[in-house]
Amino acid sequence: MTHDHSSRRQFLKLLGAGAGAAAASRLDAPAAGTQASGPVKIGVLTIRAGVAAPVGAAGLRATEWWAERVNNAGGILGRPIQLVVEEESNPKDTVERFRKLVLQDQVEVVLGGISTGVTLALGPVAEDLGTPWLSWDGTTQRGVEETMPNPKWAFKSVDNEVEAIVAGILTPKYFKGIKTVAGIGNDYSYGHDCWESYQAVLRRYVSDVKFVLELFPKLGVTDFTSHIAAIQQSKADLLMCSFWSGDATIIMKQAAAVGLFKTMKGVFTTAGGVHDSLKKEFTPEGLLLGYNTMYFDDPKGSALLKQFVREYKAKYNEYPPYECDHAFFNAESYKVAVEKAAGPAKKWPEKARVVKALEGLEIESLSGKRSWREDHVQMCNFYQGITTHKNAYDFVTIGPLEVVSTKQAMKPAGSKLFEWIAGWKV
Amino acid sequence: MKGGLAVALGAGAIAAAPLVASTYHVLLMLPFMAYAVVLLGLNLLFGYAGLVSFGHALFIGLGAYTGAFLTTHAKIRSLEVILLAAAALGALVAVPVAALCVRYVKIYFGMLTLAFGMVFYTFVLKFYRLTGGDEGLPFLRPSLLGQSLDAMPKTDYLVGPYYYYSLAVLGLAALGMWRIVHSPFGLCLKTIRDNPAKAETLGIGVTRHRFYAFVISAVYAAVGGALLGPPTGNVDPTLAYWTHSGNIVFMTLLGGFTSFFGPVVGAFVFIYLQNWVMSVVPYWRLIFGAMLAVIVILAPDGLMGFVTRRRPALAGRT
Repeated sequence: MTHDHSSRRQFLKLLGAGAGAAAASRLDAPAAGTQASGPVKIGVLTIRAGVAAPVGAAGLRATEWWAERVNNAGGILGRPIQLVVEEESNPKDTVERFRKLVLQDQVEVVLGGISTGVTLALGPVAEDLGTPWLSWDGTTQRGVEETMPNPKWAFKSVDNEVEAIVAGILTPKYFKGIKTVAGIGNDYSYGHDCWESYQAVLRRYVSDVKFVLELFPKLGVTDFTSHIAAIQQSKADLLMCSFWSGDATIIMKQAAAVGLFKTMKGVFTTAGGVHDSLKKEFTPEGLLLGYNTMYFDDPKGSALLKQFVREYKAKYNEYPPYECDHAFFNAESYKVAVEKAAGPAKKWPEKARVVKALEGLEIESLSGKRSWREDHVQMCNFYQGITTHKNAYDFVTIGPLEVVSTKQAMKPAGSKLFEWIAGWKV
Repeated sequence: MKGGLAVALGAGAIAAAPLVASTYHVLLMLPFMAYAVVLLGLNLLFGYAGLVSFGHALFIGLGAYTGAFLTTHAKIRSLEVILLAAAALGALVAVPVAALCVRYVKIYFGMLTLAFGMVFYTFVLKFYRLTGGDEGLPFLRPSLLGQSLDAMPKTDYLVGPYYYYSLAVLGLAALGMWRIVHSPFGLCLKTIRDNPAKAETLGIGVTRHRFYAFVISAVYAAVGGALLGPPTGNVDPTLAYWTHSGNIVFMTLLGGFTSFFGPVVGAFVFIYLQNWVMSVVPYWRLIFGAMLAVIVILAPDGLMGFVTRRRPALAGRT
């Protein structure tokens, strides 16, 4: 026994020596403050393959537009911006990419992250590496509850279910007398969480509402014939759909083919993400459509938004979706925070001072004023409205336009979602 | 003798990496070592028994989820317990799967393993309350040899104690597999691979040997899967997806399934090549696809094939 213990202690000593040597050799560890000359390296993580690739492309395009704009204006504190782009894929590989950006490329900040499955893994890594990470669209929620309530380095997106909550608030306003509701969403946490949140909110406004059908096809499915037949069979007054990618367009086409929305109201909480594919020929008027946090055709939109939409259309022949606003906000807020932390001396600040400057910071984004809450969650407006064909495009837009703030539609820091909704005074 | 020297040099280089390589490259060695354990097992089935599995991500996922479940739900943080539990669960699940799969060979065996892999993938995706669904489960930092090491920064933990722990596990796994493939059991597997009918006439239980090889390979995959979890800190269903099974077959082909250390070399090259190509080209999957085609057509013995082919020529010169 004594021999065994002794051997174990010896082995632990060896392990400790290895750890010490390894730690000592970590000369490439990210520095708290970096040299204040040369380009500012900014890491960007974006999805480049699969159903979410268009979302990733939109975020990257907006970041590149921002970088070009800032560089033309002299950079950040006189330093030009250099983007280092890596791919967001599965959690394991993306964590490796994140570490590469920080440890190998020595970036000052990492922007991006769309899938919550991935960003749940990135959050703790950002905390460990001590480098600011500003997520475009990914949270650190499991389901609808926060896992990192007090992060230092991680800045997260709006809670995933906010668009469903906004839709739940607006449904009784636009669709009076709704008694039965069917729901369809992708079979993963986002689809399930949106459906549960929507139900919880709608029950607060319409106490006798019945949810008669719920369908969760796999993300990436392209044939909804059987689902649409089941929805018709349910004879629900309204269909709630939380699709956000090409499947929103596909179900719209297939629903139009059988005239689904001639007998049923429709709520598409997030389909504004693929808005310019929702052509008038198959997308009816009168649906509630969510554009998430930016509406490209906002009549009250700023000159910045109008310029961005114009240049985006000219370059890519598309109208920008909301992911552009997440990406622009992250990049621009980082710039403003660096300038704020630098103070009058304009000395390049340490990373810790930058994250402090980000807390509570409000800036002008593409969609208007956006800010970081003290617990590092984005605050902004959500744009939803009723689809209309009265526009100059070949796809639907929305009017009237409803603008709902996250101050109203997102659970406050530290609260539980369903307890919070149950406490509403309706 | 030359082989032994090469192995010693390789092991020495891995052991010295934390002292000389950049932190990021040392971190990349962690998945390499985990995959190396997986592939040592997979190659028992592939290289020695002649059965190609397209479903071993099942066991990688099983091992990773075992660790995540134990650290998160059962509050068990000991990596020794996690590895033993992963190995035991891997064997337990492998027994019925192997019993069904090894009755078949070639494409039928491959398709059956793929089917079981996808059953497990669907299980972890759908049983949200147990597995966390698409969001997965956190794999909390495990203790090593009874030491919690929680106070250490995670990166220091990974490039220090965890690195050497993984290396020790890889060393033991390699030693164990070396003994297996050079035992009468290993010789029987090679006989079965080369001529199952003749093996049967010699009194070798073909199905029984394939069954044992499958279970052993599953144990290795589960242990490797458990080692993959801590560096990411979160396990998710993509670990069990069929493309992950495809990746480990690719690694085996890349290094060469006809050599004992071929798959280990394949894992190393795959990880570092992917790391480089991903940063340079957005369409890196195309490049990897083309590479796979080239290997299958021009270098069926993989990278190690070049080394073994050179040996007789070198010997002839001396």
